[in-house]
Amino acid sequence: MTATLFIQSLLAGITNGFVYGLIGLGISVIYRGTRVVNAMQGDFSLVAGIVLYLCSEHLGYPILPSFLAGVLAGAVVGWTVEIFFVRPTRRRGGNEESFLLVTLGGAFAASAAALLFFGRDSRPIRGLGGDNLLDVFDATIRVHAVWLIALSIAVVVALRLFYTRATIGKAIMAASIDPDGATIIGINVPMMRTLTFVLGGAVGGIAGVLISPLITVNYEMGLLLTLKGFTAAIIGTLGNPFGAVAGGLMLGIVEALAIVFVSSGYKDVISMTFLILIMIAVPNGIFARRGRAGG
Amino acid sequence: MAAAGVLALAVIPLLASREVVDLLVFTALYSIAGIGVTFLLGQCGIISLAENVFYGIGAYATAYVTTALGWHWLVALVIGMAIGGAVATILAWPVLRLSGHFLALATLALATIGHVLFLEWDWITGGTLGIGGVAQISFFGCVLNTPQRFYYLAWIVVGIVFWLYSNLLDSRAGCAMRAMRDRPDAAMVLGIDIHQLKVKVFVLSAMVGSLAGSLFASYVTFVSVDSFGIERAVSFLLIAVVGGAQTIIGTIFGAAFVTLAPNLLSRLGDVHPLLFALALVLTVIFLPQGIGGFLQQQIRRLFELSRLGGDA
Amino acid sequence: MNTFEATRRSVLTGTMSTLAAGCFAAPVLAQQSDPISIGAVLSLTGPGAALGQAERSGIRLAEKLLNEAGGVNGRIIRVLVEDDGSKPDIAKSKAEALIFNEKIALMIGASLTASTGAISALTNSEKMPQIALTGLGPAIELTYKSLFHLLPPQALNAKAMLEYTKAQNFKKIGVLHDSGYGQLVYNNLKTMGSDYGVSFVAVEKFEVGAQDVSTQAAKVRAADPEAVYVIATSSVPFRAARQVRITQPIISAIGSSAYDYVRGMGEYADDIVFPEFLVGEDPESHQKAFVDIYKAAYNSLPKNYEAAGWDAVHIAVNALKKAGPTERTAIAQAMREPYRGVMASYNFAAEDLTGIELSSYVYSKLVKTQFTRLTFKAGTKS
Repeated sequence: MTATLFIQSLLAGITNGFVYGLIGLGISVIYRGTRVVNAMQGDFSLVAGIVLYLCSEHLGYPILPSFLAGVLAGAVVGWTVEIFFVRPTRRRGGNEESFLLVTLGGAFAASAAALLFFGRDSRPIRGLGGDNLLDVFDATIRVHAVWLIALSIAVVVALRLFYTRATIGKAIMAASIDPDGATIIGINVPMMRTLTFVLGGAVGGIAGVLISPLITVNYEMGLLLTLKGFTAAIIGTLGNPFGAVAGGLMLGIVEALAIVFVSSGYKDVISMTFLILIMIAVPNGIFARRGRAGG
Repeated sequence: MAAAGVLALAVIPLLASREVVDLLVFTALYSIAGIGVTFLLGQCGIISLAENVFYGIGAYATAYVTTALGWHWLVALVIGMAIGGAVATILAWPVLRLSGHFLALATLALATIGHVLFLEWDWITGGTLGIGGVAQISFFGCVLNTPQRFYYLAWIVVGIVFWLYSNLLDSRAGCAMRAMRDRPDAAMVLGIDIHQLKVKVFVLSAMVGSLAGSLFASYVTFVSVDSFGIERAVSFLLIAVVGGAQTIIGTIFGAAFVTLAPNLLSRLGDVHPLLFALALVLTVIFLPQGIGGFLQQQIRRLFELSRLGGDA
Repeated sequence: MNTFEATRRSVLTGTMSTLAAGCFAAPVLAQQSDPISIGAVLSLTGPGAALGQAERSGIRLAEKLLNEAGGVNGRIIRVLVEDDGSKPDIAKSKAEALIFNEKIALMIGASLTASTGAISALTNSEKMPQIALTGLGPAIELTYKSLFHLLPPQALNAKAMLEYTKAQNFKKIGVLHDSGYGQLVYNNLKTMGSDYGVSFVAVEKFEVGAQDVSTQAAKVRAADPEAVYVIATSSVPFRAARQVRITQPIISAIGSSAYDYVRGMGEYADDIVFPEFLVGEDPESHQKAFVDIYKAAYNSLPKNYEAAGWDAVHIAVNALKKAGPTERTAIAQAMREPYRGVMASYNFAAEDLTGIELSSYVYSKLVKTQFTRLTFKAGTKS
């Protein structure tokens, strides 16, 4: 076990942690505003990644407008999902599982559509700083990964400010905590819910454009990302954006350490066991308000 | 009405093509495992994504015991259910102390762990290569080696399991479960040991899952780890929700949806996974109580109408 | 009953569109009378889609050209392709439909080992000849009488890798493999390594579909190997290896050489050697005709799995010509002999139901994202 190996694994763990955290972030944002567990979050990122690929690699546009196009695509998909999937379900009296399943169906649809129209290839995308690597004591981390970490933190801070300072942010919170009360004081609750999905979609889009250059875009990446993001969001308490990132970091680092100290074959067994133990030990989630067991 | 259903079920293998009968066998197997998940969700409010683990345990138990040890299929089946039940008991005790999303995530974690172990412990499971030549089920010399023959066994088991579960639904324990799901505090006051109840239901669902897995292994005579992953766990959950978590009979419709829909849609070419996803979305939106719940509503309405008609 | 109505409607639409498609597809040159049906269960969607879709291209091309050349003694063949979605349970159901509903004469499939296993139990009990597009599976298959494989057994793939390794004088090898395909190949490498003077100084595993394997790659690098085996059905480990600064040569296996994966590797598709069978850019002389036909038809280069699909249909038609389309045991018997295919030279009478020799292997090397063919040939005695 050399220092290089240890550092490399930490770098990988931290990078992955932020990747999971970004997805978990979106899941928490949507849950916070609508109490819907969005199984499509990873697929928002898939769409954004595809748009990014089409703009920057296929059509050759510069990086920044392509990134923005990807984020916009995510927001649009989020909006579509709320209007066409979530709203009809709510109107017909769906329960918690219905929302989970309708977004799950959406996730399958997105993945199938990607296979049909985008093909079965994995496409590499140039990231910020190209494919350049940064050397840290003979271990490497991609320049783009550093950008990902920095931008993730920025997004978390921005969201925090949004929910505490911006009127719209507070209105979203109000609409979610007490829909009737919010309506009485003039908040357009359905609009707030749609806005939440647009915001969640945009966050998914940001996640997508940041993550895609690291992992190559392919039609299966949606659900795999969603599972990890789900894990991260729940560890950090569902609905808490900062918690999602913290949860993601915890998951990423545990995975990396499991590979290095135990064995790569049993990585998932170890990280999942660790997860179960954490949940039993801290039944309220690491950032939960008191009295809300189960996360 | 139920009698008509049973009659139809009994007659189908004589009329339908072998392919359709084969699909109906799978529908039966998934119904058996699915009812475990349905019950956990509908009566106890627990989302379980771990059913694939027990399905796999049953299948591998049968595969290993009949090929490597050469024992009788019934012995293998019982061993499978016993192991499934034991594993469930050990896991349920700590895990079912969680609730809500944590519990759902914990079951997902179990599903992942199970899948990896199926892959890693390839001296038992054969890993990716799988185990072939699993013994088929035979009763007094009659080997169940065609879909038509296996069909009857599968659906008889469905009948038995469903009968067991509907008794459970109407029993004192059933009431206690619903109390625990809807008003846990009141239930506690009434002296119901919530945790013990949850564990029992979980273990029961694990055992029917293992039962289904054993039958599956004896039917296909080949098991491989690809059949027991997260995708399988998700499809069991689909069965519960699409079928309608509140009803027992709904599980059959959920299982039929998951088995028949992809098969029929695949005739439409490479676009079929997309169509299945859309079919799923539409079903969830328009039938929020699941197919079973929807049917229950319709039947109730028919009764109301006929009663009103009679009174007039 | 919304679902049942919808089901009935979709069955109707499905049947109509299949009929319409069938009318357009049937070629006019061979006789229309009573076509012979050949079944094919492939993975057209799901994780195996890269294999299945490639195989389908080869199959369709072969079907078209064989029919134009007169089919089977004047009767055209119809290859009915079904998608198993990369799931063994569905593969079995599709096989049931093909064998009993469509009354196929012969079965081609599947694309993945698990699906082949699920189907072969059925074809064996029905004595239906089956041409698998996978390597030898679990031991039970050796007792089957009508199952033949077009892809080499993993043991042979492992040998091919080790032959090259020994010739390059590499002794310390690091391995980075996935838990599916990679595990199968590695299991064989492990048992044979010492025969070739090779010791595995690091063996790291990752799950199929993993997106980040940099930690595992770093562990391999830390063991300081002379060369690295990367075995996976994805481009991810290849990128990861180079990004953690593994500069040693990479040797891989046939399942990793698809163009899909190479494109995904981007600029890292360099200094990677594959023991495989068909290098479209520089085919061996007996493969050239096929490559040209394929290029003309699809405007892209074929590789191993397209060639396997092509060979499968040719082998099927040969056997059908000799034994007729009705006697299953006779068809299987007619296949049990050597056959020189485009992909490889087979001998279906061999014990491993494949009969490929090391001499069939063609070694390719990725040099700056392009495939080149090496002159290296493995020993002829396997």
